Amino acid sequence: MSRWLIVVVALAVVTACGSSGSEGGFAALDASDRSSFRQPSPGDGIRLPADLGAHPAYRIEWWYLTANLEVADGTPLGLQWTQFRRGLSPLRSGAMRAAPDTWPLDSVWMAHAAVSFNGQHRFRERFARGGIGQADARAAPLAVWLDDWSLMARDDAAGWRLTIDNADWSARLTLTPQRAPVRHGDRGFSAKSTDGTGSMYFSYVDLAISGQVRIDGESHAVHGTGWFDREWSSQFLRSDQRGWDWMGLQLDNGARLMAFRLREEGGAFRSGTWIGPDDERRALKGDAIALEVLESRDSARGEVPVTWRVRVPSEDVDLTVTAPAGSYWNTGLYPYWESPVTVSGSHRGRGYLELTGYGSSD
Amino acid sequence: MGPAGALFSHYRRHPLQLVSLALIIMLATALWASVWTLTDQARDSLERSEAALAARFEIARQDGATVTVRDFARLRRAGTCVTPWLIVEPGDGGARRIGVDPLTLNCLDGHPASEGSGTLDGDPFLDLSGAARLPGDHRLHLLAPERADVPDGYRVQPFAGAPATGELGDSFLLNLNALSALTLLIAALLIRSVYSLSLSQRRASLELLHRQGLTRRRLAMLMASEMVVISLLAALPGLVIGHGLASVASDGFGQAMASLFDASLTSGRSLSGSLLSLGVILLVVLWCVADHWLPARRSAIRRHPVAIGSLVMIAGGTGVLAADALWELFLAIALGFVGVGLLTPPILAAWCHRRRATAPGWLAHWRRRELSALLRDLALPVVALQFALATVIAVQALVATFESTFQAWLDQRLQGDVYIERPSGMPHADMAAWLDGSSLVAHWHRVRRDQARLEGVGPAVDRLVLDPASPLLQSWQFLRSERHPWAALGQGGVMVNEQLARRQNLALGDTVTVRWGEAFRSGPLVAVYADYGRPAGEVLLPSSAAPQDWRPSFVRYAVRLTETVPIAELSDSFPRAGEARFTDNNTIHQLATGVFDQTFFLTRAISVLTLALSALSLLLMGTVVFRTRARYLSLLRVWGLSRQALRRQVRRLGLTLTGLVAAASLLPGIALTWVLVSRINPLAFGWSLPMAVYPLFWLELGLICLVIGWGIGTWMGRQTTLEDVGGLS
Repeated sequence: MSRWLIVVVALAVVTACGSSGSEGGFAALDASDRSSFRQPSPGDGIRLPADLGAHPAYRIEWWYLTANLEVADGTPLGLQWTQFRRGLSPLRSGAMRAAPDTWPLDSVWMAHAAVSFNGQHRFRERFARGGIGQADARAAPLAVWLDDWSLMARDDAAGWRLTIDNADWSARLTLTPQRAPVRHGDRGFSAKSTDGTGSMYFSYVDLAISGQVRIDGESHAVHGTGWFDREWSSQFLRSDQRGWDWMGLQLDNGARLMAFRLREEGGAFRSGTWIGPDDERRALKGDAIALEVLESRDSARGEVPVTWRVRVPSEDVDLTVTAPAGSYWNTGLYPYWESPVTVSGSHRGRGYLELTGYGSSD
Repeated sequence: MGPAGALFSHYRRHPLQLVSLALIIMLATALWASVWTLTDQARDSLERSEAALAARFEIARQDGATVTVRDFARLRRAGTCVTPWLIVEPGDGGARRIGVDPLTLNCLDGHPASEGSGTLDGDPFLDLSGAARLPGDHRLHLLAPERADVPDGYRVQPFAGAPATGELGDSFLLNLNALSALTLLIAALLIRSVYSLSLSQRRASLELLHRQGLTRRRLAMLMASEMVVISLLAALPGLVIGHGLASVASDGFGQAMASLFDASLTSGRSLSGSLLSLGVILLVVLWCVADHWLPARRSAIRRHPVAIGSLVMIAGGTGVLAADALWELFLAIALGFVGVGLLTPPILAAWCHRRRATAPGWLAHWRRRELSALLRDLALPVVALQFALATVIAVQALVATFESTFQAWLDQRLQGDVYIERPSGMPHADMAAWLDGSSLVAHWHRVRRDQARLEGVGPAVDRLVLDPASPLLQSWQFLRSERHPWAALGQGGVMVNEQLARRQNLALGDTVTVRWGEAFRSGPLVAVYADYGRPAGEVLLPSSAAPQDWRPSFVRYAVRLTETVPIAELSDSFPRAGEARFTDNNTIHQLATGVFDQTFFLTRAISVLTLALSALSLLLMGTVVFRTRARYLSLLRVWGLSRQALRRQVRRLGLTLTGLVAAASLLPGIALTWVLVSRINPLAFGWSLPMAVYPLFWLELGLICLVIGWGIGTWMGRQTTLEDVGGLS
């Protein structure tokens, strides 16, 4: 999944607040240090479980969970947890990390958590500097944390445990992968444009989730399914790419579909992955997948496409993807739309929709 | 020609009066505006600095150990909203810097979940990573909202990151403002004297205008308007000069503020400040004018100047002794000055008049009578010069005393030849082994420092831990102490600096209780030591009092060498050369002296400029007044005095006049010195100074006065001679 612009925000925070000042902004830094970070390529491959941990030689990466849950009476509850790392200077393998008591500013971490329930969408955002223990990610056993938000391997090693604590809502969830991770694109290299730039990208597309979500003091037992993305790269959007539309869909027949488009001048770069009920994986490129906006909603931040037609002709898939009523803006430093969706048409199902580059401030 | 033109024609006939009036107003405005601009900016900076730290809380370890980055991460992971605040004292005379974490700064607002970063931007704030690289004393604080939930092993306490310098900083600025107010008072006296002179010379022309139909009220209005126009025309360039002076002085002043009170100086000039300066000068001028048109009010003072002056001076003196607050003290000083100003001219005049009877010869008799008359005519500029001289005497004594005391204090404190900050992570045992084994090292001791709290509520104080047996400490001088203070310290005693003793009203033998984590350790106060250059309270404890697991925020080793060797020779022999910081004694001396110079730069500048202003005024006034007495002087020629002899007499007159003023300024100058070192200084800086007088400097001032007198006398001697010749022909 491509949360490119969100990650850029972390840099904006640092350049705005750091002693170096904000002159030049993140674009200038991009140009200056692009070459020093490692660039992903199809030959890199995905190595597990190591790639669940951090990649300090790369500039950007994230751990991204979306969950379509239900409370006891069947009311849907959507939940998102994401942790981003933004490297400010690359750390080559074998190189010594700066001592924590020097308060290094080699990387910035950002975490987002959102819960959508009964038409309400609550979003929280946190930041941390890397290298001091406040935030980090380790592969085995899995441990990804920022403050008291964390995704950790369970003691029984059968899955993970998500902990989110906020003043008005919190979550304690158990996550159990139901399938092997899926490598997107070419052996995990997911192209993001026709010129060959891209990222390393794999997903756990089928997580069984249960636990407790507490909202305004009321505790809800929840269960459902989730989707977990891991992605890292060193490249941002090209200057002519204005944003992206991403969706991860879990169909009732057991199939899974990841689809995105990067909106460019005069068109869009489309890509996706089809995972059949039998776990057969097929990378989708260009005309192999069609994404069409059917309806937009006038939200607080402007027009947002909330109803989509998604077609994968090779699989006889023709879906209508619809966000529920309400506003699902994650109003952090860089606002974006993240909403649960329902799927109808040739298949039924559910999933998550992420939209960036829309709205008044974009 | 209209009435206004007729009025102003006086200045066409007497351009020197106009020039002197304009010059005095311009210089007074410049002085007032420059000081006001600086203090206004500094006060604003102090307020912002305090606001940034006001009502903050921090998290401390229950075991008393200094918090570290690990504690920060542990607290954050436990869900505590906490943000790091790294205070770096450069130790080189530079300003304190504060490292902040923009990514967690929202905890300062008590909104842990809010997005974005805080607004602390620019000096003295910088990112933690930059602050951590700065050399100096590093103190980490973990700031949190008051009601922060903390895990076991931690507690929330009021923020102790900065000493309570607000009041002291404010006092410092009030001091400067008082000095500039004194300048203004002197200027007001000068303006009034010039105006009085012009009024007396214009009496005939004013009477003529009145006879031609101009009412007295209209005349008063015209005179007032004339003064307002002259004042505005003179004050505007004064404002420009004042802002120029302020910008020239702002670097040194800003650094002084930063090093003394942790407040950086905000740049920029405020329109309100300029308007205020202009308004104050106009008020002064209008007071001069109004006073002359309200004869009934001044008559009482005119009739009984000695009685009223004595009463006012006694009231002022009593006020100086009794005042508790700084503003009360300044009010009392002002009363004292008014009293002195009322007393000086009539007493000097009466003295001269009385001494005429014992004069050896008719010329001396004449000189003393003439001097008596001059003192009455020149009362205001004489008093202005007297005030200026008294101020200069007091300020010079303060600065010189502080300089010598400070140097002596530095010498006794900096007994080490070299000071070493060991590399991060190097155990003390390794450092001690190297120092003990080095043939270049004669003696050494460890200096450890952090912040602590005394029992009860109050701001945090600095805690200094030393080995009382160290030979490097034995030459310390104390303000008050037991017979063997270091031995008493080693036996569980406590020493405090003067600032803390004053604030807590501590006397020898009082029990001082210091908090070490959760534990309290008490000891009797065995000594109070001077601690110049900063306002923070400090408690000094023996090494034996420190718990084994105590982790101070600052550790330095004071080393005395066996012989004079270059510092590089010692540092090169250090096993981790390049990682430790070696500073020699001279460098620290130079830096400390630099801070001292910055601190008193403005004080010196104001007093010297005031003296120059007064001297110039007296010169101008003297020449004008002498001219009014030219007729009397010409009589001497009639009595047969030669031209040269007359000139000599007039020169003697001038010399005696200014010499008398210089002599009359000594007593108020000494009194003001005492008030500065013993009353104002403890309130403004937190420490007192010994009273000292500098007769050689008095002689220098006296010489300056005599030069002014000689200048007046010489000029007037020539003028009188010419007029004398003209009058007789």
